[in-house]
Amino acid sequence: MWLLEKQYFLMQKGRAEMGNTAQNTEVLALRRSPAHHLWTDFTVGSVAGERGVTLREVPFQRMVGIRVDPTSEVGTRIGELTGGLPLNSGDVTTGESGAAVLWLAPDEFLVVAPDDGEPGPSALVTSLLEALGDGAGQVIDLSSNRTTFELSGPSARAVLEKSCAADLHPRTIAAGTAITTEINKIPTVLFKSADETFQLFPRSSFADYLGRWLLDGMVEFAAEGTSWP
Amino acid sequence: MLLFTCPNCGPRNETEFHYGGQAHVAYPESPGELSDREWAEYLFYRENTKGLFAERWVHSAGCRKWFNMVRDTVSYEVKAVYRIGELQPETLERIASATEPEQAQPLAPAQANPTTASEGV
Amino acid sequence: MSADHLPEHPEFLWRNPDPKKSYDAVIVGGGGHGLATAYFLAKNHGMRNIAILEKGWLAGGNMARNTTIIRSNYLWDESAAIYEHSLKLWEILPEELDYDFLFSQRGVMNLAHTLGDVRESMRRVGANQLNGVDAEWLDPKQVKELCPILNINDNIRYPVMGATYQPRAGIAKHDHVAWAFARKCDEMGVDIIQNCEVTGFIKDGNKVTGVKTTRGNINTEKVGLCAAGHTSVLAEMAGFRIPIQSHPLQALVSELHEPVHPTVVMSNHVHVYVSQAHKGELVMGAGVDSYNGYGQRGSFHVIEEQMAAAVELFPIFARAHVLRTWGGIVDTTMDASPIVGTTPVENMFVNCGWGTGGFKGTPAAGLTFAHTIATGSPHTLNKPFGMDRFETGHLIDEHGAAAVAH
Repeated sequence: MWLLEKQYFLMQKGRAEMGNTAQNTEVLALRRSPAHHLWTDFTVGSVAGERGVTLREVPFQRMVGIRVDPTSEVGTRIGELTGGLPLNSGDVTTGESGAAVLWLAPDEFLVVAPDDGEPGPSALVTSLLEALGDGAGQVIDLSSNRTTFELSGPSARAVLEKSCAADLHPRTIAAGTAITTEINKIPTVLFKSADETFQLFPRSSFADYLGRWLLDGMVEFAAEGTSWP
Repeated sequence: MLLFTCPNCGPRNETEFHYGGQAHVAYPESPGELSDREWAEYLFYRENTKGLFAERWVHSAGCRKWFNMVRDTVSYEVKAVYRIGELQPETLERIASATEPEQAQPLAPAQANPTTASEGV
Repeated sequence: MSADHLPEHPEFLWRNPDPKKSYDAVIVGGGGHGLATAYFLAKNHGMRNIAILEKGWLAGGNMARNTTIIRSNYLWDESAAIYEHSLKLWEILPEELDYDFLFSQRGVMNLAHTLGDVRESMRRVGANQLNGVDAEWLDPKQVKELCPILNINDNIRYPVMGATYQPRAGIAKHDHVAWAFARKCDEMGVDIIQNCEVTGFIKDGNKVTGVKTTRGNINTEKVGLCAAGHTSVLAEMAGFRIPIQSHPLQALVSELHEPVHPTVVMSNHVHVYVSQAHKGELVMGAGVDSYNGYGQRGSFHVIEEQMAAAVELFPIFARAHVLRTWGGIVDTTMDASPIVGTTPVENMFVNCGWGTGGFKGTPAAGLTFAHTIATGSPHTLNKPFGMDRFETGHLIDEHGAAAVAH
């Protein structure tokens, strides 16, 4: 409880003294990502080699929810910042800032960018809000809504396929594709960021459960050889 | 487990969807003028067709959009999928009388349908 | 083994007559409700020139597919009255029908897994007691005493926070129930006609005067519909609408086991209801499939979720195997209460909407529906269950007590 209060106090203070790097650093030091307590388990549970699979949490990514008609004027304005807005399921666009924009629905998108270390609204959020202006739609900073798990390696797809019913075969999901689906009934945005790398965005409250679930699914690949013990 | 084709997201397992019952039941234009019988019809009476049935589903674990589907309530086979606001792609009778089972309608890309795209904004 | 050693062919319990040209009343549907209706028409109202038309075989629909739970712990006065009357009939029927259909009053528990469940359950126990229904509230320890294989740890996803308990509730052997009614109906002159599907109705203006069937037309003065999931199809033939929706409801059995489960345990919250049948198989029901369906099967994920919940509640079940699964078509109403009464068509009556709990209602449905058909107006017990309640607003919301959400 003390931590939360202190955190809140420092956040407020941090906002008031934007640009005060010392204060920001103090705030950042207090942050705990939703699966932080599993980091050691992730390291221990990760498997190297040709059947390998690695799990890690990528903490504090900046995420912004956008709801807008992509074909409208304001949609175009926002799209100028994001390399356009994706128009179909699976599509992902990337703007100059390097932020990825994932298609969630015909009028809903999720912007994902690495941790920018800003305790308050980042430049990304501010610029998107400016682009929205008073147009029809919304731009909301959703950074702590979801965390990020990165599952990578030759066996990453096999681990996911145990409990994700969506077709994850490369002919359907190529690198650079993102879909919204369920992993063991946990609503998850799944972004295949490279050939053998999946970024999973579960809501923070599911982080512990999904983290342990994935670890459990990785166990068999740590076994020597291909035969069952 | 049934496989449904969301007009926005493509084929997904039945568990990603929720059922919304009979499609094309319009809210009465002047509810205040309805008799008790008519209001009961609107509120409680739905078709319970044995055979081809137009119904609503929502892709709750995906794009969270509602859509319509024509499904056979005996074989559970999906005959057509179409967006909210669109008319039934074929009359039910025509689908029923077709010798070859109709494939699900080709899915238009999202931008082809500004009505859906601006929904909820 | 030679043929000499085979058991003797059992005596048939009923004739297999051809349909006559006309009857005083025709019951459509040869399941439990149709049989019970014919039985009470003959016994209480002296109507012997009647027929039951069954499109398949006797008691091969939901009567053969349900989990045979009998209880009367419903919330509202109207429901408590009809279900409790039904339970009292169950208690005397084995003697009256001269057939031991293994009615076993081993008690039924309805588990509470959340504080909301607890409040709702306690309220229902109170309401039951005021209505003279034997109901008790059990804390988790008492639950465990009655059913030792239940996991009452508080570290599970849906911990057991208590249960309602009705000691007089139980199970019965469903096919024996059907055979018991069928034999008595037959003795009293009722024609049970199987493989006879109704394809239409003959009407004079708004009055029904006959039934078209796959075995010819039959004239009749009165028609009673007892077709559960197929009622809408018949209503459409007859030219009226009825506010029910048909859904697949699934159940399953395990292989035979030594007695491990002494009572009946139901969980509305996770959609598992379990008893151990007389032979030893575990009989388990699941939730309804969300979509409308007339196929007598449902989706696998429903069974999967049901099994996950069952194994958590009964860890010992992890060593059992699913032997068979199947589905029935249940006719649900918006208020989870049945429809028993008149229809917009003159001389046509309907008994349906029992949803996921029709078996327990069999005797009372038969008694009250027979009264309605014979006299043209409802019995006191089924008067509140007419179709008019959807217009008057006098709904009888039993979603809490109905045990399977729909």
